[in-house]
Amino acid sequence: MMMQGAEVLLEQAEFIGVAVIVLVLAYLALEHKEITYAVFFFGFMAAAVAGFYLLLEAPFLVGLQIAVYTGGISALIIFGVLLLPRAQDSSLEIFQTARRRRFGLLLSGAVMLLSAILAFFYPWSDLPPVSPPELAQSLQGLAAWLWSGHGIYVEMVALIMLTALVGSVAILKMMKAEELRPLTTESHPESAGKKDESGSSSAPQTETGEGAKEAGPE
Amino acid sequence: MLIGLGAYGMITKRNLIRIIIGAEIMANGVNIALVAFSVYTEVFTFTGQSLVIIVIAVTAAHTALAMALMLMYNARYSTVDLGEPVVSEGRRHE
Repeated sequence: MMMQGAEVLLEQAEFIGVAVIVLVLAYLALEHKEITYAVFFFGFMAAAVAGFYLLLEAPFLVGLQIAVYTGGISALIIFGVLLLPRAQDSSLEIFQTARRRRFGLLLSGAVMLLSAILAFFYPWSDLPPVSPPELAQSLQGLAAWLWSGHGIYVEMVALIMLTALVGSVAILKMMKAEELRPLTTESHPESAGKKDESGSSSAPQTETGEGAKEAGPE
Repeated sequence: MLIGLGAYGMITKRNLIRIIIGAEIMANGVNIALVAFSVYTEVFTFTGQSLVIIVIAVTAAHTALAMALMLMYNARYSTVDLGEPVVSEGRRHE
């Protein structure tokens, strides 16, 4: 009895510890001035969230969380930050209005309140945590659940990911085509003249056009 | 709380990278809630865990798409700050 009480107390302490770490890291990920550090804090937060899954005895999700969030998404965002020269700038954050901040606080407070109400009315005490199966059985059961009865959802997720991949590539290709257009018009002066007459030119196009002019004589 | 913190970040921030981070934080909060609710049920099921796997996959996909859109936005306006092109346009008109 005494041991059980100590175990429950230890579990609660672990939960509070992980929760505090996750919340502090999430706050730092949002509010740190240096965007690179902010992304690193996000990666650490994602790793700390895996601690929750450990406490909830979902070992497969621990691996998935660390592989996808800490390893994949954080790395992707860091690459994005490194690719963009002005990613550090957040000049308008200085002019952040009090009204906007108040609205953000109000909405996040409403979300937190709703979650608290849901957690308060959910019958936690009536439903003791069901002892999950052993690790091997758990993974086997998860795979069986996913592929036997709900394979269509897995296929749908695969389709969504494929669509996102194709969409990302298409967007970047579109961007590249927009950048290349002035170069092609530069090589055909007649068509360039026509374009000038129509007067349709955007900022990046003129930049690349100038770049092409500079590169031309070399 | 994690969902609320993510929502706060998404609303108040103007830097696109921070907005993406806010969305990811929200997704993490939802995942924890899903697993927690699935554990505290009368019969053990894999519904929560499977949903979390699907959510993680969808989140990874939307992050890739968001990064592509961000690169496009940066190529067009030379900034990742939402609203800066509008502000600079306004100044130009003044």
